Amino acid sequence: MSGTRAGGPSAAPAIPTGRSRRVRGRPLLHTSYAQDMALLDTRAKRVSAAALVLLALALSAVLTDPALEVLAAAYVLAIGAIGLNIVTGYAGQVSLGHAFFVAIGAYTAAALSGPPGGDTLGYGITEIWVWLPAAGLAAAAAGVLVAPLATRLRGLYLAIVTLGLVFLGEHVFKEWQELTGGVGVGREAAVPTLLGVRLDQDGAFGTREQQLYLLMLVLLVVFAVAARNLARSRVGRAFAAIRDRDIAAAVIGVPLTRYKVLAFGVSSFYAGCAGALLFTLSGYVEPGSFNLLLSVQFIAMVLIGGVATVSGAIAGALFLSLLQPLTRALPALVPVISGDTTQTPNVFQVETVLYGLLIVLFLIFEPRGLFGLWIRVRNYWKSWPFSY
Amino acid sequence: MTATPATPVAATLTSLVTRVRDRAAATPDAVAMRHKDLGIWKEVTWAAYWERAELVGHALLALGVEPGDRVAVHAENRPEWLYGDLGTLAARGVTVGLYPTNPPAEVAYLLADSGAKILIAEDQEQVDKALAVIGECPELRHVVYVEPRGIRGRYTDPRLMPWEELLALGAGHRERDPGALDARTAGAGPGDVATLIYTSGTTGPPKGVMLTLGNIEFAVETLVLGGGFASPPPSPSDLTLSYLPLCHVAERAFTVWFNAAAGVQVNFAESIDTVQANLREVQPTILFGVPRIWEKVLAQVDIRLESASPVKKAVGRFWLRVADRIGDTLVRTGGTHTAATRLLYAAGWVFCYRALRERLGMRRVRYAASGAAPIAPDVLKFYMGLGIPMHEVYGMSENTAIATANRPGRVRLGTVGEPHPGVELRIDEATGEIMTRHRGTFAGYWGRPRATADVLGPDGWLRTGDVGEWVDGTHVRITDRMKDVIITAGGKNVAPSEIENALKASPYVKEAVVIGDRRPYLVALIGIEPDTVGEWARRRRIPYTTYRDLSGKPETRALVQGVVDEVNTRFARAEQIKRFAFLPKELDHQDGELTATQKVKRGAVAELFEDLVEGMYAR
Repeated sequence: MSGTRAGGPSAAPAIPTGRSRRVRGRPLLHTSYAQDMALLDTRAKRVSAAALVLLALALSAVLTDPALEVLAAAYVLAIGAIGLNIVTGYAGQVSLGHAFFVAIGAYTAAALSGPPGGDTLGYGITEIWVWLPAAGLAAAAAGVLVAPLATRLRGLYLAIVTLGLVFLGEHVFKEWQELTGGVGVGREAAVPTLLGVRLDQDGAFGTREQQLYLLMLVLLVVFAVAARNLARSRVGRAFAAIRDRDIAAAVIGVPLTRYKVLAFGVSSFYAGCAGALLFTLSGYVEPGSFNLLLSVQFIAMVLIGGVATVSGAIAGALFLSLLQPLTRALPALVPVISGDTTQTPNVFQVETVLYGLLIVLFLIFEPRGLFGLWIRVRNYWKSWPFSY
Repeated sequence: MTATPATPVAATLTSLVTRVRDRAAATPDAVAMRHKDLGIWKEVTWAAYWERAELVGHALLALGVEPGDRVAVHAENRPEWLYGDLGTLAARGVTVGLYPTNPPAEVAYLLADSGAKILIAEDQEQVDKALAVIGECPELRHVVYVEPRGIRGRYTDPRLMPWEELLALGAGHRERDPGALDARTAGAGPGDVATLIYTSGTTGPPKGVMLTLGNIEFAVETLVLGGGFASPPPSPSDLTLSYLPLCHVAERAFTVWFNAAAGVQVNFAESIDTVQANLREVQPTILFGVPRIWEKVLAQVDIRLESASPVKKAVGRFWLRVADRIGDTLVRTGGTHTAATRLLYAAGWVFCYRALRERLGMRRVRYAASGAAPIAPDVLKFYMGLGIPMHEVYGMSENTAIATANRPGRVRLGTVGEPHPGVELRIDEATGEIMTRHRGTFAGYWGRPRATADVLGPDGWLRTGDVGEWVDGTHVRITDRMKDVIITAGGKNVAPSEIENALKASPYVKEAVVIGDRRPYLVALIGIEPDTVGEWARRRRIPYTTYRDLSGKPETRALVQGVVDEVNTRFARAEQIKRFAFLPKELDHQDGELTATQKVKRGAVAELFEDLVEGMYAR
């Protein structure tokens, strides 16, 4: 394309052109592709992003420890949701098997950091910068193994195959007692130690919850920025092309196999890391946790938050995580609903119904999710004083 | 860049060439212009600008261009236009601009009439036009094409040459003879013809207006550095958007001359259709438009507000009414705010004007001008009310666009302003014709001494062909073109353009041609604005198919009748439109109804739609 103006049989001497400077007060005047693709391309975005991060940091000093723990869990779930969004939202490959990859991450990390010579497998490496990447990589490896299926299957078939993964995984983890401790018993989760400092005990940076909250916040920012960068790169554009129509993408020269494998790999890496971190909060992993419901939760986060947007995935994770404390308060308000799992109706059933209902409502009324709601509000003011 | 040879520069006449060369030396890295390429505004620095202009100049020397030889440029506004123009001037050639919309027949006429030796054509479309008529242009020796798509490897005409080859030729020539171009430039005198600007030719074939280096220098001093067309005078921190044809004297002034003389950053719009989007991106500080553009933007605001949600519509309408009041006050004060208007404007800025101006791409406009054709005062008032300092200016190719301009704070709506300093302007007592005399008066029509003598007397007074009058002894009001004035059968003199502009100020009317010379009463041919009327019909659920169908609807007739009735109330009885008919098609340059500058060729239109006109008198 660029060859239309330069080059040719008798190329003219190279002439220096501009250095592509920003022009003051003209955010739409892009003089380079870097400006065109910038993450925070307007002042308003820069300011509000910085304000949000500062607010999140400030919360650690303001909120009570239980609230911080809920938020920390939400941040970890957000990492997992971003991961699912990469494969399902950006690359358009429906995956119901996210719980499986989360489990792999959780057990890899737990096994690495567990005490050697105990009832369950353990290697005693508690440094987070070892077990976190290892958990991610192990899950990514599993993702890459599964990916070739995705190059053969599309849509419903892919969904069913990935659903099968969850059942396979559930069975394996229940039976493999040396690793998981078995059903109803479980094992201790990974221990977060950073350069010799244990973050899951009260320490120099505040209480246990404050430290974990800050850890999760930092990791979420890192993972979110990485995902945004991936999405606006060549890889992200290839994902979008595959999502829109994989045959068309292949025709314009996107290697389908490579990018589908990459999508599953990166997505599973995120899932693995989320799995490893998720259980450090409770300190305990039970193999029954990695069931279909967990996968559905992640899908709900992506759909409610906003498909193919990082901020949407975060919003969805926060929304659903904060929903839980609310539903748990229901038995006190509505006596019909019980807090006991053995009775019907109980809060857990209500929760499941609520997830389903929310997904249905969002898909009907705002398919772009919470992010779409925000877009509506933003566009209303952006187009002022017109409507379009 | 290769080492610049040491040449005596001091003796050289100051011209656009030396101005660009000096800027390239003084601020090589500053931005001279931007053009949009694959979605990105690519910058061209002054050093790069001069480098390319210099290469073109050397290449022209290598191709044997002698002083006074014509080089034609047939392209949309783009950097290569300026490289070609400056390179030609440096080689002491004469630049001839062709309108991109010129059909092959007009291309043949312009190339043959000017006797251009070299043609710089933009792309396959323009090359095809030139090749189709090349037999009629014996002096045309080379056709340089800028965009090779569709040409390279397919066209075999030996006269064709890609742009890169031209630059390479220039580079080779510069290597062999580095001082040749400077030596050629140094020989220039103020009487050298620099450019031929062809008149739009509303009557008869276009004539080439010869502007000399001296004319252009006077224009630069008066219009650019003297602040005649942008006050306070422009500076390198100003931005303009270049979108009107560069072969017109007004856009040449606002693009090439503003750029070279004041260092204004020129941004080239992608095309005339993307002006709105480009305006939003560039947010220029100085904006020139022809009435058609200003009318269209006004109509756009109207439609988009009309189709906005109820709250937005109410808010927008309210603040536009306020803007109207602010405009009224500004019209009274000549464009200076009073305390009350400042307060109102500040409130409106928060709720509407800031956002509206941002959307229109006029948030940062500090000086806006309308010229090249008459405009309805209501349109100008709308922009003044929005806080866009709008000034009507007046000039023509024959006097290098130097005649009058409204000055900030001394704006008088309905007039074209005060004569520039150093300009003699008088109004002929017998005919009312406006005449000007100054250093910018052209050297004559190319190859037409008779036509020249008709408008340029031996005493140096130029007859503009416009009828006007003094307002308060300082401002000039133009009634109409002399040859357009209608004398009805009742013996009444009527200026049709005033009525036409009043009609065109309505968002629903795009074209209006008033007819009535030696007739009992006035009639009008009216062309509707398809966008606004289409939107209006859509809202009223009036189904329609084509332009012609929409014009034929009784509802449309009622709508336009309302506009005509409203306008009629403002005029004396003899000046009222008794009947009107709709033009069955949109007027077009290709069909010979409009000039390249979108001016209506009255004669041609009256002739083409004679049956319509006769029908209006027959009833």
